[in-house]
Amino acid sequence: MRYTDDDKALMLLSRETSIKKKMSMFDSVEHPRELYDDLSEADEMISQMEELGVVAITRVRDMYPKALLDIYDPPVVLYCRGDVDLLRANILAIVGTRKATRYGKDATKCFVQKFVQRDICIISGLARGIDSAAHRATLEMGGKTIAVVATGLDQVYPAENLELAQSIITEGLMVSEYPIGTGVHAFRFPERNRIISGLSNGVLIPEAGLNSGSLITANCALDQGKELYIIPGSIFASQSKGGNQMLKDLQGTMVTCPEDIVGDDSKVDKEELAVQLTMEQQVILNLLKDDEEVHFTTLIADSKMSVGELSALLSEMEIYGLIRKLSGNYYMRSPKL
Amino acid sequence: MLAKLDSYALSGVDGYKVEIEVDLNAGLPSYDIVGLGDTAIKESKERVRSAIKNSCFAFPLKKVTINLAPADSKKEGSYFDLAISVAMLVASEQLECDNYKDYVFVGELSLDGSLRHIKGMMPLLISALQAGHRKFIIPKANAEEASYVEGCEIYALDNLQDVVGFLAGTRQFQPLETKEFVSIENGNKYSVDFGEVKGQYVAKRAIEIAVAGGHNILMIGPPGAGKTMMAKCVPTIMPDMSFEEAIEVTKIHSIAGILDTQKGIVCQRPFRTPHHTATIPSLIGGGSKSKPGEVSLAHNGVLFLDEMPEYQRKTLETLRQPLEDGYVTVSRAKQSLEYPAKFMLVASMNPCPCGNFGSKTQQCKCTANEIHKYVSKLSGPLIDRIDLQIEVDNISYEELRGTSNEESSAEIKKRVEKARAIQRERYKGTSVFVNAYMTNAQVKKYCALDKSCEVLLKNAFEKLNLSARGSTRILKVARTIADLDGSENILPVHITEAIQYRSLDRKYWE
Repeated sequence: MRYTDDDKALMLLSRETSIKKKMSMFDSVEHPRELYDDLSEADEMISQMEELGVVAITRVRDMYPKALLDIYDPPVVLYCRGDVDLLRANILAIVGTRKATRYGKDATKCFVQKFVQRDICIISGLARGIDSAAHRATLEMGGKTIAVVATGLDQVYPAENLELAQSIITEGLMVSEYPIGTGVHAFRFPERNRIISGLSNGVLIPEAGLNSGSLITANCALDQGKELYIIPGSIFASQSKGGNQMLKDLQGTMVTCPEDIVGDDSKVDKEELAVQLTMEQQVILNLLKDDEEVHFTTLIADSKMSVGELSALLSEMEIYGLIRKLSGNYYMRSPKL
Repeated sequence: MLAKLDSYALSGVDGYKVEIEVDLNAGLPSYDIVGLGDTAIKESKERVRSAIKNSCFAFPLKKVTINLAPADSKKEGSYFDLAISVAMLVASEQLECDNYKDYVFVGELSLDGSLRHIKGMMPLLISALQAGHRKFIIPKANAEEASYVEGCEIYALDNLQDVVGFLAGTRQFQPLETKEFVSIENGNKYSVDFGEVKGQYVAKRAIEIAVAGGHNILMIGPPGAGKTMMAKCVPTIMPDMSFEEAIEVTKIHSIAGILDTQKGIVCQRPFRTPHHTATIPSLIGGGSKSKPGEVSLAHNGVLFLDEMPEYQRKTLETLRQPLEDGYVTVSRAKQSLEYPAKFMLVASMNPCPCGNFGSKTQQCKCTANEIHKYVSKLSGPLIDRIDLQIEVDNISYEELRGTSNEESSAEIKKRVEKARAIQRERYKGTSVFVNAYMTNAQVKKYCALDKSCEVLLKNAFEKLNLSARGSTRILKVARTIADLDGSENILPVHITEAIQYRSLDRKYWE
């Protein structure tokens, strides 16, 4: 990609820490190139970017997503690593608590499955918990995903998501408004949230605690006039209190199935595997009712099988995707909407 | 006059001959020991002097020189007291006989002339026997231990006077009678039994499989779930020790000085629980005195590491050699020793630092990062050597109080022995004796899967997110389950059951 002097000037501008300053400087001149006398420093940035395969899409470019220009404080540059065409896709944001519960992750997975079928690109923030679950589920199902991060694109935070970040770069897109070399700073996380909501057509919150950063994204979405979808959670779970509170305040739409967002699909996908259940499998399924978690000891008492037989059977059913093993030797049915 | 006789000392688990030479010369009375003795040997001077005097002999008022040959190797311990005093009495012509040259003398002296117990008697006798010595005079306190050594004439005596009287022919003693090793008689006297463990079916089954195939096992569960209790029960379902195994264990315990002198032999499989503050020398062996470590004390038995992630990473890593090779090599500047260390590793850990992760009743207070750090302490090669990883759960009050009839250790042991017999037959003529130690070639040969099993395993890996490095482990465990089942081939049920025991491979544990 060839960069004009305007591009270079904006790259230099992106190094400023304050959004306000970036905005006012950008507005103070007619052409960004007038901002700086010496643009040679930008060349160094470009060579660094080329090494990593990062491209910069500045505000003055046609490629710059229109949706972002509509928000109050659009970033001056979007640094991108991966498939930049995804910026034009139909994008939906999924964000939530970093301390996701099983419920939150399951819900995320269920929704993502449907979205991927409808070619919706999932955008999120690469954080722990719901964010990672959303990225992972999308990639697992062969969908496209965008991660908006709050560091330079040469870094990954949190470090345990390194592998995930790499697959996002190869199969999706990683975006940041900060130049390469920018480290981890707490204030940048709320800042990048406006980009997540800004790039998307709507924001889905599967699970959010009272002080969750995802509520910032939710508010950004409301400010930017985007749709806000919230999956209700247990009234007892602290990880659901934030989302539930928003619903109570009548902010956002309550959704309980992906169709609430994408509408009903006329051609019903009969994908359900017609697995012929054996007698034993049926016995176990009857013992595992709904959402209940049942302990191995209960199963063994009720099924009258030997420990070895039951263990083998449970593994088999798990492989077929009929049940799920939880920590502490508990079992439950695979969640289904 | 010069007197020479034989004694023995220990280096690692082997004894070596030390020749004791005493020479009396004219000159000012003095007393010197040469031959690189440690402090205990230097101090034997005073013990020997008093013992001789208090046994109604006269300490020679001459220039006494004592040499411990070979002169260039370091010697440790109090093994030579008896030999030095006898040689001294011969040299000073207070004991006139020739038969002393036939004996090996080992023992520590008390100031009153009585003989004291020494550490490592059994390995010492066995080495001496192999070197061709047949007659021994040792302290009576070591009699029990010595009586299991066959094919030699051992006199276990009380004091110096008895020794001198015996050599001079004025007192008569009978050699020790060799004892038969009766494992059944002592074997089942464990203080715990699986019959007392309520519930915990998964854990019990997994332990049965682990013992049957010689696999190492890791138990993951909240505090108070009964991990330690079950670990203690592991030896109760292991096959009885053979005489050879018992001798191996006794040798090591004798050197470490933890042998029960009343029993004289170890007939229960050892169960060792080093604390998590254990240092590397205490675990592996070594130190300035080159003592065997916990891994060697657990030889032929169980090494239980409670709260495994609390151990220092470095300490845990040292377990890799013994787990792989069945022995440890302790190299120090002065010497390099080898101790046997073939044990079954039983480890336990909490699911997270606070212990309540996944609990139904308690709230876990750990952050995702803390849990991640805690679990990753065990990553890598060490975990690779632990075939079974299971979750142990808090049992309910009803289960604890329930009068449900639990299987006793004896019943489980019968099944284990049957499975072991199948394995012995299979690995006849190779160095392997249980499934856990199969080589890659053997895994290919004995864990061959038919089409349906192959498909099943492939699906399992995809659907359950198993980590690839666990595949051989699953096969080995499946082989053991098949053996317990008496099945010649590995069937799909064996594989699916084996998958149940790979908790750490599963990504749900995050």
